[in-house]
Amino acid sequence: MVSLAAAERASLPGRDPASRSRLEVLAREVRPAVAAADRTLPVAGDLGALLPGGGLRRGSVVTVGGAVGDGGTSLVLHLAAAATAAGEWAALVDPRSTLGGAAAAEAGVSLDRCAFVRRVPQGRWATVVAALLDGVALVVATVPTGLRPGDARRLAARARERAAVLVALEAPPTAGAPGRAGAWPVEAALRMVAEGSPWPGLTAGSGLLAPRALRVGVERRDGARSGEVAPLARAG
Amino acid sequence: MPSRVHPRVEIVRPGLLTFATRGPSRYFGGDRALAEMVHAAVHAAVSAVAAAPVRVGVADGRFAAQLAARNARPEASGLPAALVVAPGGSASFVAPFPVVVLGAPATADLLERLGLPTVGDFAALPPGAVAERFGPEGHRLHCLARGLDDASLALTEPPPDLVEQIELDPPATRVDTAAFAAKALADRLLARLGERGLVCTRVMVEAETEHGERLARCWRHEGAFTAAALAERVRWQLDGWFAARSGDGDVAALGDPRARQDAAVIADAALTSAIGLLRIVPDEVLPADGRQLGFWGGDQVVHDRADRVLARVQGMLGHDAVVTAVPQGAARRGERAVGAMGRAAGAGAPALRRWGEARLARCGAAAVAGARLRAAAARRSPRLGRWARGRDGPRRGVGATGVPTSRRAPRRWGEVRGWAGPWPHDVRWWDPAGRRRRVLWQVVVDAGSRGEIACLISVEAGRAGVEALYD
Repeated sequence: MVSLAAAERASLPGRDPASRSRLEVLAREVRPAVAAADRTLPVAGDLGALLPGGGLRRGSVVTVGGAVGDGGTSLVLHLAAAATAAGEWAALVDPRSTLGGAAAAEAGVSLDRCAFVRRVPQGRWATVVAALLDGVALVVATVPTGLRPGDARRLAARARERAAVLVALEAPPTAGAPGRAGAWPVEAALRMVAEGSPWPGLTAGSGLLAPRALRVGVERRDGARSGEVAPLARAG
Repeated sequence: MPSRVHPRVEIVRPGLLTFATRGPSRYFGGDRALAEMVHAAVHAAVSAVAAAPVRVGVADGRFAAQLAARNARPEASGLPAALVVAPGGSASFVAPFPVVVLGAPATADLLERLGLPTVGDFAALPPGAVAERFGPEGHRLHCLARGLDDASLALTEPPPDLVEQIELDPPATRVDTAAFAAKALADRLLARLGERGLVCTRVMVEAETEHGERLARCWRHEGAFTAAALAERVRWQLDGWFAARSGDGDVAALGDPRARQDAAVIADAALTSAIGLLRIVPDEVLPADGRQLGFWGGDQVVHDRADRVLARVQGMLGHDAVVTAVPQGAARRGERAVGAMGRAAGAGAPALRRWGEARLARCGAAAVAGARLRAAAARRSPRLGRWARGRDGPRRGVGATGVPTSRRAPRRWGEVRGWAGPWPHDVRWWDPAGRRRRVLWQVVVDAGSRGEIACLISVEAGRAGVEALYD
């Protein structure tokens, strides 16, 4: 309807200019909504509210950082869940085979659209991630130490070209090496940092660890914000 | 290698090969002698690269033999693990097994709910009724259950012009180059079979090298090959040949002992130069009985794209580097909690499946842990030894109650703020060699300015280590 040529529109019967312009306004309002859904992967819950546009923009690089045990893994699983919920595939590059399938399922990732790629030699990391970006909508990968900026830029370009999201999980900073060996070496569209929070559920000798609300800091182009991310309701 | 015993050894998948025994048994002096010989040959081939159990089963059909092999135990130490089912005894041998061994989980689930938990129960149904209710696939399973194997299938002689081959110029020196060509070959072959209404259950994969050597291997599929499954078999075969050529380097996937071991069995012969010609010969074809696609197919384009890419990554890294997780039935909450925390495959933790395979892959134990784990740092750190002791002196034995204290926690961790446990965790209790007994604790420690760290501590034989971090 929107794409009708001007001549055809003029030939439509019974349309006065006022109602026609109202229709055009309506068409403009409707069109971007459809396109935006195509361009972003909506993220559910509190995390989505922290992100620009309520989700991850396709074709961008997102970095996730944080100290050991502060919730970086939960955060990336949450993002992977966003991809599978949209009917897309997610791939988790997991060189040391330490990611748990049950944890992924608990975070809302639908396991039939999620692949774990294990035992990736450091020398082929960039090749493997580039290949995955070709056909998988969201790729989570731990940044290896000493990733060259050139490789990182190439991957960002590949993600942009294939409209895939690369979630770069950064290695936690070590006290001895302030140079951030496992950090994403170039600019990213979005930087997220898991900031940890207290663990509920355990007392001296009893209880069971319960899901915790995670503090997350998000650095966006339009400024930084942070907030609590409540755990998603578990299935059972 | 087994091909010295029999000219037509069929590889079903890495780790499983089958062949017909009637001729060789007569020649080598009986089933038992043959089984022991094959065991020795395979063991010799495999043990050079990795220590792994080799099991041999002999029965009337492929299915029963496979089951026999899976259940073979050495009668005494030193004797080979071989189980020979007497001729004609296959039906009664398979009868007590649960229906899930038939390899069709959906049908097995239905049969169980119909009150037919064992293969024998299923076999007792009248064949006509089974075919009526479950169709050709059900008929095939029913034949297996009666110990008849798939002999009832009418095999068609493949037309001679169905051979597909491709000349590689320049000759392929790497697995991925050859595997790429093989993919096109498989697509072409399946398309041509499809035009004639045929499906293929067994192929010969042949390669000719620049030096004029000819290598050939036979691969079999339990159902019928799809283009992807066929291309995968060819790639496994190429992996094997190339790995045998390059000793142990080159192929990235072969850092893993299991992959090396698979390659050793698959290879059989080694390449001495690059591959100049690749050929796929359909060896056994059947009339296609049709396949109905699911009504709610989802977005097929997305799946196809992911399928291609994951297969390519698998080609780069080796066939068990890409896995998907399959949820398994959840157990009781307490059990699940412990299972989810443990490193070994506990109850409720999803099993992992190699990409493109229906079968469950044995996986690195770490990967199935359900905890939100990240790096399992400082495993078996001796400094944690103190955690294994209680306040009232040393703990006695595994499973005793101790209270973790943290005067000397690992790294710069602080005081213990909360803890729960111990949960005794008896891993592989049925296996005397692989059994591990340990206890698990959930512990939250103070991490100074950074708040808290939650982790899973395991204590085994008096030594403690950080098993996993909740992240």
